[in-house]
Amino acid sequence: MKPYRMHLMVCAGTACVSNKSYKIKKVLEEEIKKQGLEDEVAVVTTGCNGFCAQGPLMVVQPDGVFYQLLKEEDIPHLVEEHFLKGRPVKEKMYVPPEEKMPIPTMDNIDFFKYQRLIALRNRGLIDPEKIDEYIARDGYNALVKALTEMSPDDIIREVKTSGLRGRGGAGFPTGLKWELTRASENGEVEKYIVCNADEGDPGAFMDRSIIESDPHSVLEGMAIGARAIGATKGFIYIRHEYPLALERLNKAIKQACEYGLLGENILDTGFNFDVDVHRGAGAFVCGEETALLAALEGRFGEPRPRPPYPVEKGLWGKPTNINNVETWANVPIIISRGSKWFSEIGTETSKGTKVFSLVGKINNTGLVEVPMGITMRDIVYKIGGGIPDGKEFKAVQTGGPSGGCIPKALLDLPVDYESLTDAGSMMGSGGMVVMDEETCMVDVARYFLTFTQDESCGKCTPCREGTKRMLEILTKITQGEGTEEDLQLLEELANEVKKSALCGLGKTAPNPVLTTLRYFRDEYETHIREKKCPAHVCRKLNVYTIDPEICVTKGHGCGVCMRECPEGAIAGEKNKPHRIEQDKCIKCGVCYEVCRFKAIYIQ
Amino acid sequence: MVKAILDKQSIEVEEGTTILEAATERGITIPTLCYHPLLEPYSACRICMVEVEERGKKDLRTACNTAITEGMVIETSSENAIRARRMNLELLMAQAPGAEVLKEMAFEMGITKSRFPVTDETEKCILCGLCVRVCEDVVGAHAISFVNRGADRCVSTPYGESSEFCISCGACAYFCPTGSISLEELTGAKIVHTELPLGPSTAVRVPFMQSIPNVPFIDAEACINFKTDGCKLCEKVCEPQAINHEMKDEFIEVDIGTAIIATGYELLDVSDMQNYGYGRFDNVLSALEFEHLCNAGGPTGGKILLKNGESPQSLAIIHCVGSRDKNYKRYCSRICCMYAMKFAHLVKEKTDADVFEFYIDIRSFGKGYEEFYNRMLEERVNFIRGKAAEVSNAAMVPEEEGKLVVRCEDTLAGFIRRIPVDMVILCPAVVPREDVSEVGKLFGVTLSEDGFLKELHPKLAPLSTSSDGIFLAGTCQSPKDIPDTVAQGAGAAGAVLSLGDAVYLEPINSVIDEEKCVGCRICIGVCAYDAIFFDDEKKVSKIEETLCKGCGACVAACPSGASTQNGFTDAQLLAEVEGALI
Repeated sequence: MKPYRMHLMVCAGTACVSNKSYKIKKVLEEEIKKQGLEDEVAVVTTGCNGFCAQGPLMVVQPDGVFYQLLKEEDIPHLVEEHFLKGRPVKEKMYVPPEEKMPIPTMDNIDFFKYQRLIALRNRGLIDPEKIDEYIARDGYNALVKALTEMSPDDIIREVKTSGLRGRGGAGFPTGLKWELTRASENGEVEKYIVCNADEGDPGAFMDRSIIESDPHSVLEGMAIGARAIGATKGFIYIRHEYPLALERLNKAIKQACEYGLLGENILDTGFNFDVDVHRGAGAFVCGEETALLAALEGRFGEPRPRPPYPVEKGLWGKPTNINNVETWANVPIIISRGSKWFSEIGTETSKGTKVFSLVGKINNTGLVEVPMGITMRDIVYKIGGGIPDGKEFKAVQTGGPSGGCIPKALLDLPVDYESLTDAGSMMGSGGMVVMDEETCMVDVARYFLTFTQDESCGKCTPCREGTKRMLEILTKITQGEGTEEDLQLLEELANEVKKSALCGLGKTAPNPVLTTLRYFRDEYETHIREKKCPAHVCRKLNVYTIDPEICVTKGHGCGVCMRECPEGAIAGEKNKPHRIEQDKCIKCGVCYEVCRFKAIYIQ
Repeated sequence: MVKAILDKQSIEVEEGTTILEAATERGITIPTLCYHPLLEPYSACRICMVEVEERGKKDLRTACNTAITEGMVIETSSENAIRARRMNLELLMAQAPGAEVLKEMAFEMGITKSRFPVTDETEKCILCGLCVRVCEDVVGAHAISFVNRGADRCVSTPYGESSEFCISCGACAYFCPTGSISLEELTGAKIVHTELPLGPSTAVRVPFMQSIPNVPFIDAEACINFKTDGCKLCEKVCEPQAINHEMKDEFIEVDIGTAIIATGYELLDVSDMQNYGYGRFDNVLSALEFEHLCNAGGPTGGKILLKNGESPQSLAIIHCVGSRDKNYKRYCSRICCMYAMKFAHLVKEKTDADVFEFYIDIRSFGKGYEEFYNRMLEERVNFIRGKAAEVSNAAMVPEEEGKLVVRCEDTLAGFIRRIPVDMVILCPAVVPREDVSEVGKLFGVTLSEDGFLKELHPKLAPLSTSSDGIFLAGTCQSPKDIPDTVAQGAGAAGAVLSLGDAVYLEPINSVIDEEKCVGCRICIGVCAYDAIFFDDEKKVSKIEETLCKGCGACVAACPSGASTQNGFTDAQLLAEVEGALI
C-alpha cells in the first residue's frame, strides 16, 4: 500500500449516500487533484459511521477530525484550508445542541465517546468493498485460528463461555444453539447455516449498517459457525430493500472466494464452506425463523409451529442454525480475543454490546453500539444528546413493533434482555424510538398495530383477527368513539393474543398496546372519558379555537386561517377576531399550522 | 414411553403422541377446527389451546401439535385455556359469521354473540387451511393456496382464475368444515346422484350393492394417486393394510382340459345415436343407468329423481334402440320388452308419473310374460306402437316447455305424435363383447353372422362348439333372458361333467410324415383347429392328435404329400380301388 499523509474517510452508508456522499467524494477527489495533493491525501469510502443525523460525514485520519453536513460547495474551501494549509475548518465541525463551541475530533463527541464498538469494530475505518482492508484490521484471523488451532467443540465452548446471546431479539444463547445443531443427527446429515438479515422493524437499521460497513465480519462469523456445527453451506436471507448492503455482500463473498477464505478446502484445512445470498420479497414475517426457512425453500413465507426447532428440522428438513447479522459479526472477535475478554463486558446475564438504532425525537439520530447494562438515560441523554427543542422526554420504544414503550420513570433501567422483558418490552433487534411530550401513546400503539396487522401472515386466528380488532378499537379510541368496554376488551384481547398466537410476531404484537396500557393508561382514559388527546395528535379529538384577543392585537385579523381553511369554517373580517364554526370544522389542523401569531389553540 | 399428567390423571403414552391424541383416546374432548387426523397438524386456529406445565413453566399450547414429554402436566380445560379458546372463537365468529360449525362450538362454550363487529354476514371461510393442505400435501395438485396476507388472506387459485392444475377431485370441498367450498359449486350443479355412473363418486367404492365379491375396488380413472402420485389416504386408514396402489393387472396362464365360455354381453353405445340425445340431455338415461337409479343401494337410495332432484311427472321408455334396426343390429335383443315393462311397473310403484312405452312389437314369449304385459296394461301404462324417431328439447307448444319431447309415428292411430316427458329411458341393443373375436380365436370358436359366438349346431348342439371340450353359456352365444341363460349354463356344466377325464379322439385324423415334410408350414395356415405346430428342432410340422378333427385340409394343401389321413393313405386308397375293380 502506498503511504498517504492523510486519509479522508467519507461515509458511504445508505443515509449518507442518499445525501450525495458519492458526489462529495468525487468533488473531493477532483479538488485534491487540482491542489496537487493526490499523492498525499487518499479518499476512502467507508460503511456507515453511525452518526446519520449529521450526514454526509467525513472523518480525517489520523487526526480524527470530524466533518459533518457536507455540501459540494464546501469542498474547495475545505481542501484548501485543511488538507493543503493544515487549518481545520471549524464551520463544518460538530456543535453539540445548545452549545456554541465546535468539537473538532470524533473521539471527543459525546455520541461516540460512550460507545463501545465490537460488532461495529471496523466501521468508518475500512473500505467495506476491499477485503485487504478488513484483513489489515486482523480480519479472518479468527477463522484461521478456528480452523487450525481449535476443534469444533473448542469453538462452541468458547462461544458458550463468552455468554453471547442472539442479537435478533429473543436472546437465545448462541453457543447452546450451535451445540444443539452440532449434536442434531450426530453430524450424519447435511446441515445449514443461515444468516437472518431480514431486518424489518420500522426505524431499525443495525443489520444493514453492519453489512454495509463490514460485510466480511459476518462472513467470517458464519464460516466459524459452519466449522463449529459441521455445515458446509450457508445462506444469507437479506431483505430486498437493502440494495447497497446486498451489493457489498456479494462483492465480499466474491473477494473471499478469490482469496480462498470461502469455497472448497479453505486455507488448506479441508474445510469447505459456501455462502449463497437470498433476497427477501418484502414480508416482515419472514424475519421469523420458520417463515424465513419456508421462504428460503421457495414456499409461502409463513411460520410453522415449533417444535421441531430449526436446529432439529430446518431448511429442507435438515438441522439448521439461524443467527442474526449482529450475532455473526460478534463471533470473529470472540474467537480471536477470547471469551473471557468478551464476557467481561456487559451484565451478569447479557454479555457484550448491543447495537441500537437511535431514532425519533432525539438530537443525535444514528447507530450506536453500547455495552449491555448501560442505562436508558445514558443512551438518550449522553449519547443521544437529549430531546430537541427543549421538549420533555416521554418514552422510548424498544424492540420495534414487537416491543413496548418504556416510560420516563424507568429511564434508569439497565438495558439488557431481562430488564427490558420485565418492563414489558424487549430487546428486539435493536430499534430505539425516542418520543417526546408531543407524542400520543394511543396513537403510537395504533401506529405499531397498523404495522403488525399489515404484516401478519394471517395464518393463526389470534394474530390475523386479533391485531385487526385491536387496531379497530385503537382507531375508535383515537377518533373519540371509544368506550370503557372497548378499553376492557382491548386489554383482554391483547393478553389473549399474546398467549395464544403461533409465532413471535403474533405473540409480541400486543406489546405496544400492553405497555402503553401499563404505563400510560391515563392517556387512554382521557381519550375515552374526556374525548381529548393530551398530546393533540389525534386530530379528530382536537377542538380548534381562536383566541379573539391575540387574533386582533397581534395578528390584526390577518385572515390567513380563513383563506387556508378547506371547509370555509372560519369567519371573520380584517382587524376583527376570527371565529371557527365547530360544526363545519373537519379538524384538519391547517389553521393551527398557518397562524403565525399562535392565536389558534387546541382546547 | 413417556409419563405425564393429563387432567389430573397419570398417563403413559408412546413418545411422539400429541396431547390431542392422548386426550381423544381417553375420552377428553378438546375442540378443534383446523385439525384433521389425516393431515399434519397446522395449529392455526388456536382453538385447541390447553395449559401445559413443563419444567416448571406454565403456558398455553396447541394440543394438536404438542407432543407429550416426560413429566408434562396438562390441563385441557383450565381457566386460561378456556379464556384463550373463547377469545379465538369470538374472533373467528366475527370473521366468518356464516360458518355453522362456529355457531355449534359457540353454543357449547356458552357464547351467544361475538363482541367484535361483523363485516360480512355471509362469510363462511374460517381460513383453517384444510382445503389448501389437502390439495397440496395429500392430493399433490397444488391447485389452490392462500393468497394475500393478514386480514386479506383468502383461499384462491392462482390469480383467481380456474386452475389448470385442478384435477377436480373435490378433496377441498370434502375437507372444508364450513361448506365454504362445496362440491356443488365446484361441479356447477346440484348433486342428486352421488354415485357413478349417474353422479360424482368416490374412487374407492363397492361397484354396486349386490356385487360379488362385495368388496371395494380402486377406480384408476378417478383415483387421485393415479393422477398426481399423491393421496394414498385409503392406505393410511386401512388398518389391515390391504391396499396396494402399486398392484397392476397381470396375465395368468392356466392349464385346462375343458372350458365354458360365459363372457356375457354389452349394451350398444347409444351416445352415437344423436337422435335420442343421450349425453346431451341430462335426463336421458340408458336402461342400466335407470336400473342403478332404482336400486335401493344406488345413488338416491332407490328414489327416481331427475338431475335437478325433482320427481319426474312423466317418463318415456323407448324399446329397440339399435335392435331390429338395419342401421345397427338386425336381431331382436329379446330382453328389452320385459325389462322395459318392469321399469314401467317400478315407476308406477314409486311415483305418480305417466309412463309411455314406445315399441315395435311386444315380445312377451316366456313363461308368465304375457300375463305381465296384460298387468301393465291394467296399470295404465301407455303403450304406443311405433318406433320413437327423436328426443328433443325444442318446444312447439307451451306444454312442451322445459320437457323432453319424444316424436314418433303411432302406427295404430296412424299419425305422428309428440309426447312431452321429464325423463327418457333408452333400451339399447344387446351386443357381443368388444373382444369376442379374440376370445373366439383363443378357443377355436367361430362367430356367427351377428357377431356372437357360434354354437356347434343351433338345434342339436346349442352348448357345444366346434372345439371339443369348449362350451358356451349365456349371452356370449346370443341375447337371452335370465331363465334361458341359467338353463344353458346348467346344461354346459352338465356337458363338462359328462366328459369325465377322457378325451375322445376322432377315428380319422391326419399324420405328417417327417421324412417327407419340407417344413413349409402351409398346413399350419390352413388348419382350422390349431392342431398343427412346428417343431423347431426337427424343422418339420407336427400334429396334435387330440385337437385334430381329421378334416383333411392339411392333406389337400400339403405340396410334398407328407400329410396324410390315417387309414386313407394314397397306397390304401389305391389298394381299395384295385380291390373294387378286381
